Amino acid sequence: MKLDEAKFEALFIPPAGEGKRCIIRAVDVRKIYRMGTVETHALRGATLDIYAGEYLSIMGPSGSGKSTLFNMIGALAKPTSGKVYIDQVDIAQLDCEELAWLRCRKIGYIFQMYNLIQVMTCLENVMLPMSFAGLNSEEAREKAMFILKLVGLGHRPLHKPAELSGGQQQRCAIARALANSPEIILADEPTANLDLHTGEEMIELFARLRDELSVTVISATHDLKMLKRSDRILWISDGRIVRTARPEEVDFTSGDFH
Amino acid sequence: MPSPIRKQVKLPLSVAFGVVMQGIRIRLGRSLVTLAGVILGIAFLMSILVGQSIRRGVAAEVNTRREVKRMMSFLTAETGPLDDRVIGVVQVGPLGVEELRFLKQVAAAKVSRLNWVTRNGAQAPGGLAAAGRVSAVSEPEVGRDASAVLLAGEGEVPGGAAAGALLDGARQKVLAFTRKSATAPDVPDASVVQLERDKPPEELEQERLEGQRTRFRTRWIIVISLLVTVIGISNAMLMSVTERFREIGTMKCLGALSSFVRQMFFIESGLMGLAGSILGSLIGGLFAWLAFSFTYGADLVGSSLDLGALLGYFALCVAAGVILSILAAIYPASFAARMVPATALRSTI
Repeated sequence: MKLDEAKFEALFIPPAGEGKRCIIRAVDVRKIYRMGTVETHALRGATLDIYAGEYLSIMGPSGSGKSTLFNMIGALAKPTSGKVYIDQVDIAQLDCEELAWLRCRKIGYIFQMYNLIQVMTCLENVMLPMSFAGLNSEEAREKAMFILKLVGLGHRPLHKPAELSGGQQQRCAIARALANSPEIILADEPTANLDLHTGEEMIELFARLRDELSVTVISATHDLKMLKRSDRILWISDGRIVRTARPEEVDFTSGDFH
Repeated sequence: MPSPIRKQVKLPLSVAFGVVMQGIRIRLGRSLVTLAGVILGIAFLMSILVGQSIRRGVAAEVNTRREVKRMMSFLTAETGPLDDRVIGVVQVGPLGVEELRFLKQVAAAKVSRLNWVTRNGAQAPGGLAAAGRVSAVSEPEVGRDASAVLLAGEGEVPGGAAAGALLDGARQKVLAFTRKSATAPDVPDASVVQLERDKPPEELEQERLEGQRTRFRTRWIIVISLLVTVIGISNAMLMSVTERFREIGTMKCLGALSSFVRQMFFIESGLMGLAGSILGSLIGGLFAWLAFSFTYGADLVGSSLDLGALLGYFALCVAAGVILSILAAIYPASFAARMVPATALRSTI
């Protein structure tokens, strides 16, 4: 599709009056997966702005294009059409080394399946992004231990992921996402496997990251507590963003917020 | 304010090496399976190469032994049994394999003495003197009490009167040439024997055909075994890389460069290839040696083994193993390294 360049320039200007910086902007992002002759439209034109220091929750049933949207705004895949800007840079213009830098420093990913490296210990998993960032192992070890303690895993740094419970693995994944002090945290169901108490701790941690360090937190979630703490909730269905609302505008008791 | 996006730094090789070593250690079971694939392929190749070498060596050895035996029987036909006899040897030049073997056998027979004379500056072979019954003498002495005087080596043989003089003081006037000589002197009242035999043309033709057939068969078997090795190793390395697509995807999400991923697999497959092919060559070589020793007898196989050729095969097999392993891993690793992280994460192999 043809994009109006003038309109594009306008997109860079932050919304008037609010004084917020747009850290991620998606413009008419479409993604089509082709399997042989079958085309699957995972995203049918998603446009959204995410502001620095925002706590955004994304809701949507499975197959709604949630994960695809995550991949697009996290620079993990290229959209079929449309543009994604991270910090005002069109990520389609970046070469692979710049993309690697972006993924390493700017964004922290928390995957649904954790995706911890199974052959490495908890500590080494957290140290890995740091060594990719060029930290020497002494600095990395110290910082990784600090983060592990922060997420409540300070007592089992030398365990392999397979030796940890689901919740502990998730905390390890969260610690790894925080490794290079990212500006953006992308989390796919970060509290799904945590018990009530730990889940609350994690939500608290995300809120603190937002409040104290202006970290942008974007998470797919169905956790009520998390939804209530977020600044904005976004519903996605059949590849389209169908609704955005502030938590106070949503009636969580009725059950129709799905 | 937005911070500028920079380029990711390239990590030193040691980081990749560390990750690889750790991976191999932790995944020891899986690594051993991959290693076994390499070992199997290379052991097969090595056993074929060594087997061919042994087969060739044994054929040559059998031929040599037959020739030596025939030479011996030609000689004893003239002299009778060599027990307690004195034999004179005039070495006129460097000795051939069969000649040397024959002379050793003469020395090893129960002769009482071997009178040894060298001519034309020929170098007497080492090892013979150790037999104890060999004594270096001057040329006029060589025929004393001798039952036969042998002329051996590649060189000009004395003719006429000089040849006759060699038999001075001999008990039996037998002059034997270990090599066919066109200038065999006619010595009166002495029997002159040619120990080397002319091969009839049909036998030569037979040998030529047999050699051709063997060469063709050898090449064919080596090509087949190389194919088996290539497929075995490729499969092992391919699997070990493909099953880690997800891990590669994760690493890329965390900021690993494609070059780092490639480097990692380059190192890992190189190490695997090296260890696997060294072990494989040893196992394959040993297996071939044992199997052929069992069939032909350890003695025959042992004396037909060529150490230089064995080392050559070893080097060849190790090189083949390392190169094949790296080649087999580099393709899927590059493929994985180039993959979009989201795709790599989705793969569930």
